[in-house]
Amino acid sequence: MTDTTTRRSRDDSDEFETIAEMEAESRPGPEGQPHGDDSLIGRFDRWHLNRFSAWDAVKAVALTTFLLLIFAGGSVRKAADELKPGLGRDIVKAIGGPAGWVSDNLPFSDTRRDLTSWLSPDQQLSGQSFRAGPGGAGTPAAQVPTTPQPLHRLLVTGDSLSTPLDIELARKLADQGAAVQVTRDPHLATGISNSGLVDWSQLSSTQAANDDPDAAVLFIGANEGYPMPDASGAQVSCCSPQWEAIFRSRVGQMMDNYLRGGVERIYWLTVPTQRDPARKPIADAVNQAVEEAAADRGAAVRVVDLRPTFTPGDTYRDSIDINGKQTIVRESDGIHLNEDGSSVAADLVLAAMNKDFDY
Amino acid sequence: MRRGRRAGKEQHGERERCREPCEDASAVHPGQFSSIARPARAAGGERRRQVLFPTVEFAIFFPIVLALSWALMPSQPLWKPFIVVASYVFYAAADPRFCLLLAAITLVSQLAVVGIHRTEDERLRKWITAGGVVFDLGILAVFKYYGFFVTDVSDVLDSVGLGMPLPLATIALPVGVSFFSFQAVTYVVDVKRRQAEPASLLDAAIYLSFFPHLVAGPIVRASEFLPQLKTPRDPHRVAVGAGLTLIALGLVKKVMIADYLARELVDPVFAVPQAYSAPDAVLAAYGYAAQIYCDFSGYTDIAIGLALLMGFVFPQNFNSPYRATGFRDFWRRWHMTLSRFLRDYLYIPLGGNRKGKVRTYINLMLTMTLGGLWHGAAWNFVAWGAYQGTGLSAEHALKGRLGRIFPGWLRWFVTFNLIVFGWILFRSQDLSLVGDYVSALTRSGPATLYSVPVVGAILLVIGLQLLPERPTEGIELRLGRLQPLVLGAALALVVLVVGATVPSQGVPPFIYFRF
Repeated sequence: MTDTTTRRSRDDSDEFETIAEMEAESRPGPEGQPHGDDSLIGRFDRWHLNRFSAWDAVKAVALTTFLLLIFAGGSVRKAADELKPGLGRDIVKAIGGPAGWVSDNLPFSDTRRDLTSWLSPDQQLSGQSFRAGPGGAGTPAAQVPTTPQPLHRLLVTGDSLSTPLDIELARKLADQGAAVQVTRDPHLATGISNSGLVDWSQLSSTQAANDDPDAAVLFIGANEGYPMPDASGAQVSCCSPQWEAIFRSRVGQMMDNYLRGGVERIYWLTVPTQRDPARKPIADAVNQAVEEAAADRGAAVRVVDLRPTFTPGDTYRDSIDINGKQTIVRESDGIHLNEDGSSVAADLVLAAMNKDFDY
Repeated sequence: MRRGRRAGKEQHGERERCREPCEDASAVHPGQFSSIARPARAAGGERRRQVLFPTVEFAIFFPIVLALSWALMPSQPLWKPFIVVASYVFYAAADPRFCLLLAAITLVSQLAVVGIHRTEDERLRKWITAGGVVFDLGILAVFKYYGFFVTDVSDVLDSVGLGMPLPLATIALPVGVSFFSFQAVTYVVDVKRRQAEPASLLDAAIYLSFFPHLVAGPIVRASEFLPQLKTPRDPHRVAVGAGLTLIALGLVKKVMIADYLARELVDPVFAVPQAYSAPDAVLAAYGYAAQIYCDFSGYTDIAIGLALLMGFVFPQNFNSPYRATGFRDFWRRWHMTLSRFLRDYLYIPLGGNRKGKVRTYINLMLTMTLGGLWHGAAWNFVAWGAYQGTGLSAEHALKGRLGRIFPGWLRWFVTFNLIVFGWILFRSQDLSLVGDYVSALTRSGPATLYSVPVVGAILLVIGLQLLPERPTEGIELRLGRLQPLVLGAALALVVLVVGATVPSQGVPPFIYFRF
């Protein structure tokens, strides 16, 4: 315990005369000295807290783990589903499966949920989930105004690709003095082909209803390629024409949800080529599906194609020429745009929006 | 029509989710801009996965490692390789390639230490030490600062005709490189100074990779950790109560306070400060002070708690920093293991205060500016470090006069607000945004982000640090003495409550993982 009366105090006026004195300051001082012994390595000994055994530690942690498994085993199972394939996921899955089963068959999990659900920061989603299988050609082209309309509210959303694009758009509009409310709503680690974390059909309906945007900017596609069910329920793997048709249908459902919810224009950004060649078939299928779904919906959906700017010739590059200077525009993962890249993408979006909106 | 629809929704409870700026949507005035952020800023998912304590994976990893660690502890030839492998598995969760980097730093530092130990020639010892330190810091420089040099610094040099053509490249920052490279430096230098004995390669590998402190400290000196490896940890003297209490406290600090404040207040304002006015900007600055303390000290609490359960003791890293009454006092309470590293391995070797007043100020400025740069490769960190150096220098110049002229509460008030202002430099993404933030501080406008939980969380974090030390220590001590099984059950309860506050996208990474 601290006892300031027993320590030799240094006030602000003290100066070290010698290096030895300075170094002495860093060595352990009298017991209870809070700063002289700035490591306080012996504090647990001094406070007599080393009073239990290793077996106590193991038992206590085992009890914690056991209680968590029976109260929240389903969370372990869900976490496994969200992990990338690999040994780590297999291990979590091997534990999460039985833990989830136990948790499902005991009343504790429901009790926990009832007691703590009010603490969740997640928004409640409404609307329909994705329909299974490929849909039709989409809704007829919506009537859109031919003259620029006022822009009051802008939604910027998507997966991790959409940030920091969202921040760049918000800053650029703010710098222009535009009276626009920008709602930034990135949902990291989510995908249209994987509804494990969030169902983008429900989310798009909810965003349209709650945020009431005049325009929506979507940048999503870093986390796609998951198998999706066809109309019969059979899983279709990426990136066959059938997978692309299902993906197109899902993208179309999202577009329709926004448009039916009152969004006048959608600006959907394509995924620029990524460094890893294995990702190219996925990005190609995603971009193709977006372009086709947008074409079905006429001028209400504009595709902002980033590929000619960031990866001309379909060739990945870290940097591009910006104002005569080679500038790195990608993150080190070779997938995401960095701040400079997002700034360029934001300029492209604003250029497209300028044709449709006054702000 | 639109505004009417929005108003109708708010009456049905939508205001709660949208927070105050949503109200602006129904009454956007010309020239008025607003921004709503609803992000749970997780860096998981398709971005590179980070090593996190509050994850399901770690909740599975740790009990297994803990049990095996104590089971193998009596047999050191088995325990030592086991703990190295476990730590590398932990680190590989971030990116397996970086394990090679960690191994390289370990090997080179060990070679340097053996070389230093085997010679009595002081010049040779110096040269070998310099070689080891240059390698350790070189790794840090390449991975952390290369991009900064070929872009920002190159721009500055270009402007004065000293441009250096360096190839552009994106380099991934290995998690924790700032911490383990500094620890490697302490190992080499401590042995050179004869403050630590050379360890075996296995012990050195454990010291540098031990997973509780691997990715974000605390920066444990070789002379503190290596002696703990000399004999097996005593299985009858384990601070189980303190360990579990610290883990629970750290989780609450990180997930329930730091992440909450980031989500509801800090991230939106710092992302687009142009969109906010003085009341929100002021609150967000205080909010960030609370957030960064809870985030980093929360991590440290968990790290120290995990280590205690495994029988190891780490140095203290925080001591109620916001009760400081001066910059020097602050740096004795904030990130204590970094400030003593800077003092012992930079400030004192530079000459400290032994070479006159001018050199003292230069040394303080240099030490703190480099300390700022350690936090990140950006000019705002340089500015933050220089700001801290200026504060320390000013204090040094005034010597004890401040204490005689001003009462303690006034010194605290001024120090606290100067520290909070410094956090604006630290948190802003670049210097232009610092300017935008300062403009926001002077712009009149509505308070849109105030809520009872947000203000309450800030007051709680700051207020608890102002309480007398004895009562808070007394509570910690009493908790630490409870029966382990009681605390184990309590920890489960805390995890369940804390877990309920985690957004579906997961727990955002600790702020100091970026450093």
